[in-house]
Amino acid sequence: MDYRDTPEEAEFRATLREWLTATIPAGWDKIEDEEESVRLRKDWHRTLYRAGYVGMSWPVEYGGRGLSPVYDAILNEESGNLGAPPLPSVGYIGRAIFMYASEEQKRRFLPPLLSGEASWCQGFSEPEAGSDLASLRTAARLDGDHYVVNGQKMWTSGGQYADWCLLLARTDPDVPKHKGISAFLVSMTEPGVTVRPIVIASGEAETAEVFWDDVRIPVEQRLGAPGEGWRIAMTTVAYERGPADIGFIANYRRTLRKVEGLAAERGLLEKEEVRKALARAYVRGEVLRLNCMEQLSMRVSGRAPGPEGSVAKLLWADAEQSLQHLAMDILGADEMTGVAAGWLSSYFTSRPVSVYGGSAQIQKNIIARMLDMPR
Amino acid sequence: MLKDVAAQIAGSAGPSNPSDLNTLDRAAAWRSLAQAGLLALRTRDDDGRPVGSGVEVAVVAEGLGAGLVPVPYLGSAVLATELLALAGAHDEAEALSEGDTRTTVLLDRDLSALAVLPGDQTVYAWDADGAADALALTAGPDGHQVVRVSLDTGFAPAAGSDLTRTLLRSDGPIDGARLTPVGSPLSAEALLRWEALALTVISADIVGVMRAAVARAVAYTKERVQYGVLIGSFQAVQHLCAEAYVQAEASASATNYAAWAVDELDVAEALLAARTAKTQAALVAREVTETVMQVFGGIGQTYEHIAHVHTRRALTDRQVLGDEGVQLVRIADVRLTGE
Repeated sequence: MDYRDTPEEAEFRATLREWLTATIPAGWDKIEDEEESVRLRKDWHRTLYRAGYVGMSWPVEYGGRGLSPVYDAILNEESGNLGAPPLPSVGYIGRAIFMYASEEQKRRFLPPLLSGEASWCQGFSEPEAGSDLASLRTAARLDGDHYVVNGQKMWTSGGQYADWCLLLARTDPDVPKHKGISAFLVSMTEPGVTVRPIVIASGEAETAEVFWDDVRIPVEQRLGAPGEGWRIAMTTVAYERGPADIGFIANYRRTLRKVEGLAAERGLLEKEEVRKALARAYVRGEVLRLNCMEQLSMRVSGRAPGPEGSVAKLLWADAEQSLQHLAMDILGADEMTGVAAGWLSSYFTSRPVSVYGGSAQIQKNIIARMLDMPR
Repeated sequence: MLKDVAAQIAGSAGPSNPSDLNTLDRAAAWRSLAQAGLLALRTRDDDGRPVGSGVEVAVVAEGLGAGLVPVPYLGSAVLATELLALAGAHDEAEALSEGDTRTTVLLDRDLSALAVLPGDQTVYAWDADGAADALALTAGPDGHQVVRVSLDTGFAPAAGSDLTRTLLRSDGPIDGARLTPVGSPLSAEALLRWEALALTVISADIVGVMRAAVARAVAYTKERVQYGVLIGSFQAVQHLCAEAYVQAEASASATNYAAWAVDELDVAEALLAARTAKTQAALVAREVTETVMQVFGGIGQTYEHIAHVHTRRALTDRQVLGDEGVQLVRIADVRLTGE
């Protein structure tokens, strides 16, 4: 594979760089208020969209530009290099809709998803069904031309800010557990939907639990066929673990530069152990980036993401968490005395990386299956 | 295509257990490599460009590493040939590619760099199977000069860890009269370019060793029964194998990029990519091959079993031209000081 930009890609990169330099809101990363920070992210999503940088690899008729996913990777890279706000991660929900939706659903849901007019969350996990997602109990009972949903969802990231939800619910309790699940596209403003933010260890309300009490969903908002929910969920998580749809490489590079800055401020760059640890962090980031580029290259050649996404997911969690450990080692007491409280928060924010989207242990199970090891 | 040829040669010339190393026809394997043109990849064509790219050389190195093939591909066909080509000694490089003569490189006492002579230090000729001589450097006013040293006198076989490669040792001093200059003095850039290629192919060898070792271990978990079930059904064993697999694949990703960078990027970037690949491969080489020995259980700890042959080759590769510690210091220099 060729790692270099084609002339078109190089031109795109140059234009993008210029645009980002002129457009990145100053001081965005100093915002502490959560509501304000959420607003900023939504605004950034719309700004990117208006400039044509969201959903670049999506078909034109659904609001995209019909380009290769390589352009998303370039956006990801340059955003990181220039310190832009986090990129909207529309890719994995969008994929699920794109692959399983009816034509009418695609036209209705995809453009506002890409533009940032409608934000989405993923209603998968439940209190009793995390890693063992297939044992979920939230039920959707058919009642005329509606489904009636009852149950509780957990770990619905961004649930408190989302307009819509890709919901999994059991539509047939009488078949094996993987086969009785269906997927729905549901408005979070329907009567009967109650969202309660969950504050994670960092002190921030990153995620939410959502209660569904007699929520009525029109039949035409079922995604795919009845019982197809499991397959849709697996597609979604494959893309969620996949490299191109998440801004993690950009974020990683930005954080690494900050950690290098911390070490410099504290006069630690003379110490060989610190220099080696920072170089090690660079190597971890590069390995992750290059592994993702290989997967992206396979994607460009038409292959859907497969179990190799689990390799990237494990490398990502390891890189992210090791980098936070390194920051903690460099900051020493400051992280504990409140002098560098933001870093403590980042540290706790890195912990669930090896839990969400399938825990590290689940990823290893998937790899073992890929290696065809005995069940 | 190259991948298939390398795999085919590896299949017939690679050991299944350590005792095969005494009986394998190494000369035949070397002839096959020569006939397939694989010894000529780093010679230069009429326009002065390498006949084969860094990617192609790395593909072959990975294939031969996977097969634990006991021939001096890295020493003679890559490291020595490239050094000769960079010094403009094209006839000498061509001669090596025909396979009748072999030359390797001299490394300093800790194996971390090309030896700079004359000196009274211990030096090693690495990957020296069948080599008549080895290349080293002398420091001069115009940069480094490549010199040839005969391995006939002063060198004795060293009991190195790697059973698949020959290591010769000289406790010095090697006096100046034994050094024959070859080609023109090397620019600093040419030497760094050589290092980028060298680190990359060594990483590729490690990747081959690791991938093959993990594949062997995984295959074993599908045959070996304990407690009435295949050991591959135990989650503890699955996770060991998965972790080793992830590390080997991560090393492959970094090495593939470094191999591409050898010919495509400017020398500083190519060298950074090579150091990144070598760091990653060296960092995990020991753990991955140890994991493989663990999965094989008791039998994997015995001399008769193949597992330690992987470990031995990987451990030596890890040291050659600098382990992860050496590379990390260099990467830090680039990242933090811009040197």
